[in-house]
Amino acid sequence: MTASKRLREAAVVGGTLLAAIIALRMSAKNPGEMSALDRGILRLVSPAQSAMSFVARGITGVAGRYMELTHVRAENETLVRENKKLRTELIEMRRLAEESGRYQRLLGLRDVTPAETIAARVIAVDASPYFRVARVEIDHGEGTVRRGMPVLTPEGVVGRINRVAGGSSDVMLLVDPRSAIDVLVPRTGGRGILRGKSGENGYRCSIEYLARGEPAREGDAVVTSGLGGAFPRNLAVGHVTKVIPGAVGLYQDVEVTPDVDFGRLADVLVVVAPPPAPDPEAGSHHQPARGLMVYR
Amino acid sequence: MRSAVTLAVAYLLLILQSTVLELAPMRMATPSLGLLVVLHVGLSSKWTISSAAVVAFVTGYLFDLVSGAPQGVHAFVFVLMAVCARLLTTRVAVQGIVLGAATSFVASLLASALVVIVRAQVAPEGGYGGLRQAPVEALLTGIVGPLVLGLFRRIDGKVDSARSRVGLQRGPRAFGDPVRR
Repeated sequence: MTASKRLREAAVVGGTLLAAIIALRMSAKNPGEMSALDRGILRLVSPAQSAMSFVARGITGVAGRYMELTHVRAENETLVRENKKLRTELIEMRRLAEESGRYQRLLGLRDVTPAETIAARVIAVDASPYFRVARVEIDHGEGTVRRGMPVLTPEGVVGRINRVAGGSSDVMLLVDPRSAIDVLVPRTGGRGILRGKSGENGYRCSIEYLARGEPAREGDAVVTSGLGGAFPRNLAVGHVTKVIPGAVGLYQDVEVTPDVDFGRLADVLVVVAPPPAPDPEAGSHHQPARGLMVYR
Repeated sequence: MRSAVTLAVAYLLLILQSTVLELAPMRMATPSLGLLVVLHVGLSSKWTISSAAVVAFVTGYLFDLVSGAPQGVHAFVFVLMAVCARLLTTRVAVQGIVLGAATSFVASLLASALVVIVRAQVAPEGGYGGLRQAPVEALLTGIVGPLVLGLFRRIDGKVDSARSRVGLQRGPRAFGDPVRR
């Protein structure tokens, strides 16, 4: 580097320092004053600053909203979990309440049934479409339940024990074609044998041997007659839903829909001992069972 | 050409420093990006001291305007820093990330001290306070220093390539500069 070039370099450096010092002195003298050049430069700078600031605020805003959303998402997940838990608890509570109601009704039935009964829990219904059978579980020791014992619910007669195996028993529902229960139509006093109808999709029965002289009507109640000794008298069985006209012969052709909803069977009572014999000194021939299912 | 490109990038960096970093979560200090421009032109042998001083002055003046500092404060300090950086290159070859970061850190501390001193002369009511933030600012400058210095080296390389293609390469070749064949 030549001397002149060095000198020039030093002069430029000195000049810039001097320019800076002059600027310093001017700004010290008039702190608020700006030269036209400064104002021009700022006019150029300000829009860029503004744009950059806008972009930066946008980015930080998006980032902030993202953070908020993340927080909201976490909160939402917590609330969803809590909601699910509460819903599960609610369902469980409803189930318990329903179960409690069933037990209460069952207890009410037990209180009014003039026979010794034990409770049983239904564990299966209609395992086979060809046999209308429910399986119940009974915690009452072996030997207590025997074949033929009636099974009831507060709504009415369910059927009778068909098979006993350890702690569980099969209940032949009254809609099973093999089932036969002596029933009565209280309005007319007509008696017959209630049998399940085979090949039906729903739960239907028919009354056999119902004399034509005591004509049944749709809506007539059907109750147990008490004959045979197995079922107490006057237990609700169902209602007449169809009287088939034009049938010939001595008997009517009547279809009955059971009062019990077999699709919702949960708890039942098994009559383990027949009702006591009526007291002849009490003046009444027979004391009917009273309760929710009892026809009056 | 190189000065114009460097000043344009410096302008963008100053805008960035004055806006984006002000919105960053850590508002107590920002890296001194303008100083890194000055360090580059001061340290690079591709820049003559006079052009380095001019770029430093313009950058400093621009920073004064952008930051609202009294005109001339940063312009003066940046020119001094460019001269200091050039003096440093006669003793040390500032190469690599660690040395670049260390130089940026020390330069930032020194520049902060100079700014406070100059400010005290121009506006005595401000006193010599405000240096508490200097270490943090220096630390941040040290962290981003190698990145910014690397960016400017790349820019210089691009501009040089264009010049060398037409046979206009000039300036002394210094230790650390890539050898062209």
